Amino acid sequence: MTHSLHRRGNLEDLKDDFVVLGCPATGINKAGSAPKTQKFLSICYKNGPINLGDMKTGNIYNTTMDDILSHVTDGTIVQCTFDNREKIVSLLKDLKEKRPGISVIISGVSDIVQQCMEEAGLGRIHTIEYSLGTWGKTELLPEFEILKTHTMCGHAMIGADLIRKLVRDVKRGRRTVEEACLEMAKCCTCGNYNLTRGIRLFKELLPLYMVHSLY
Amino acid sequence: MKADQDKCIACKRCFPYCPMGRIQTVKRHEKIPGRFFIEIDQEKCTDCGVCLRANICPVKALYQPEMLWPREVRGILSNPLIEFKGSQVPGRGTEEMKTNDVSGRFRPGEVGVGIELGRPGVGAYFKDVEIVAMELAPLGYEFAEENPITHFMKDKKTGKLRDDILNEKATSAIVEGKCKLENLPVILEAVKRAAQKVSSVFTVEVITKVPPVGEIPIKPILERLGYWYSINTKNNMGLGEPAFRFYEEK
Repeated sequence: MTHSLHRRGNLEDLKDDFVVLGCPATGINKAGSAPKTQKFLSICYKNGPINLGDMKTGNIYNTTMDDILSHVTDGTIVQCTFDNREKIVSLLKDLKEKRPGISVIISGVSDIVQQCMEEAGLGRIHTIEYSLGTWGKTELLPEFEILKTHTMCGHAMIGADLIRKLVRDVKRGRRTVEEACLEMAKCCTCGNYNLTRGIRLFKELLPLYMVHSLY
Repeated sequence: MKADQDKCIACKRCFPYCPMGRIQTVKRHEKIPGRFFIEIDQEKCTDCGVCLRANICPVKALYQPEMLWPREVRGILSNPLIEFKGSQVPGRGTEEMKTNDVSGRFRPGEVGVGIELGRPGVGAYFKDVEIVAMELAPLGYEFAEENPITHFMKDKKTGKLRDDILNEKATSAIVEGKCKLENLPVILEAVKRAAQKVSSVFTVEVITKVPPVGEIPIKPILERLGYWYSINTKNNMGLGEPAFRFYEEK
């Protein structure tokens, strides 16, 4: 799965955007992994994620932390999204000390992630995955400003039309920017949507679109 | 996904939630005078379920009927809540590099290459997935056994998929596998060729074990060949236990 890899934006857009995954390995440490995953989730929660979830249960904007914790079973993959590097350093220090035992993956700007690891006393990144971008009929893609928000949910559950509709809603006074971004956060079941970045991107998006009627 | 025509009031609130775009049409109800309902284009719908989960329908008209083979592959790959039993991972992929610190799936000298069709937000038919798989198969590309697409192959040597799923569509579908590092340029050339043939988009990703010292081995190859790669990456922290010994003495 690559649903946290292809987030689009420049360094300024992405420098405070981190998705942390906890993943047990089938056939190796998956059996009996539920308490380890719960421990991992609790450590993440303590470090103040902006979003947190499990693909099958939902995220903290459409269910509760207790519900997510109670639905963790052997093999559950959990995701926590953070909006600043200091929290990542603190999280890595905690994970290094408490070692939940499952694999930990962080999607983010690689140089910043590497710096965070060094500050936490960890070595080099173990394995790295690069995005080589989007190929093929790229003329079918929505405009780049929409893509930046759309790609925060790697499962594409935040449709381009939904983003445009929410822009219209905000311009017509039907929702606030925060309410619009919460709606997007609810659609992204896994909890990969970074609400802080989402609000910033949405505010940048608003002046770029006109609505036919304000009513 | 379908809308119950006896309940639907054609309010259109579900329209923008569809990641596949405007795939609904408004129809006049034949038995209830003055009543309209929406019909979801079943050929374009990928059964991802986001409209239903958004709980946006005021009359609860949306419902997901049980889908039979081959239609059920749409939900398997598009609905993040459904787990593919072969990979034991919800969604359309595998554990790939996420557990490489304990599995040793990608070893020094190997490169993971993933091609995710339909992403972002366009969707792809399996006939396009087959085009990519068939370009890669003869070039020493080893398909990931636990990936759903590999399970749907009729012949793993050629990358040919089962004929009955070719006209099915998914929000996205990943061809996953690995090759030798020295083979990466040839594989990426094949992916380039496939990009000219498909009717959708795809994202490309490459995975490598980072050596304890020295340069990340795929970077000079990508730079020499002029491939763009992202500043943001997915990074395994190496905290899984028991750690796989990549550099054990022979």
